[in-house]
Amino acid sequence: MFNLAFDNFNEILDMDGHGIYVWSVYSIGIAMIFLSFLIAKKRIKDIQKKIRIKNASS
Amino acid sequence: MLILGWAWGLLFAPQDAVQGNSYRIIFLHVPSVIFAQLIYFFMAVCALMHLVWRVKLAAYLIKSAAPIGAMITFIGLLSGSIWGILTWGTWWQWDARITSTLILFIMYLGILTLHGSFSNLEKADRLMSILVVIGLVNIPIIKKSVDWWSTLHQPASISVSGGSSIDPSMLYPLLFSVIGLGFTLISLGILSSRSYIFTREKNKKWVSEYV
Repeated sequence: MFNLAFDNFNEILDMDGHGIYVWSVYSIGIAMIFLSFLIAKKRIKDIQKKIRIKNASS
Repeated sequence: MLILGWAWGLLFAPQDAVQGNSYRIIFLHVPSVIFAQLIYFFMAVCALMHLVWRVKLAAYLIKSAAPIGAMITFIGLLSGSIWGILTWGTWWQWDARITSTLILFIMYLGILTLHGSFSNLEKADRLMSILVVIGLVNIPIIKKSVDWWSTLHQPASISVSGGSSIDPSMLYPLLFSVIGLGFTLISLGILSSRSYIFTREKNKKWVSEYV
């Protein structure tokens, strides 16, 4: 069950011609999830900054 | 857990006898569409809580979960489409399962657009909740579409009640991918809802004290 399904790195990338499709799908999926985390973190930082500025001015 | 599931599925799981290596898209596609539906179901439960008991937090959770649901449904549709070109020879087919999933994606976008179009946020929360409950009818349609209609999409390969039709060497990495993606989306949901709660409650004393 834990034997590598490919003989070398090129085979992993190529996947018998399906690699371009498989790796593209995973790249897009990972990028979208990663970007969502970045956006969520940035929103928290922005709103915290806004609230702190408001607290300081009042 | 997600990295383990994907590494296992992409590198160690054996090739499929019919589909070759293209089937490896399953480790992203199946978890994505499972959570596309589960997130909607979670939103529907929150919508009922908001409509029946006027729980404000429930509406905040719907608003935070909808973009995540839209993103994961898009990934499910895209991965299915790319898998489709390899196995069926077509990017798109107006098949019952695919069309009902597209409707789910449009529902997510509609919910976000509806909420964004009102300046009165309490009214927006209420109407958004009503729309979420109406859209719930689509979830059993997606689930049962492959049984009710003759579709290009194959019936479910894994089942909660057992009787999965795929080999354990492919099933285990798939289960790891499902659980791993679940934890990833829960973390994302917590972050998103945290920022949205702060945004909505920014004038409240507890937020000022907490931040």
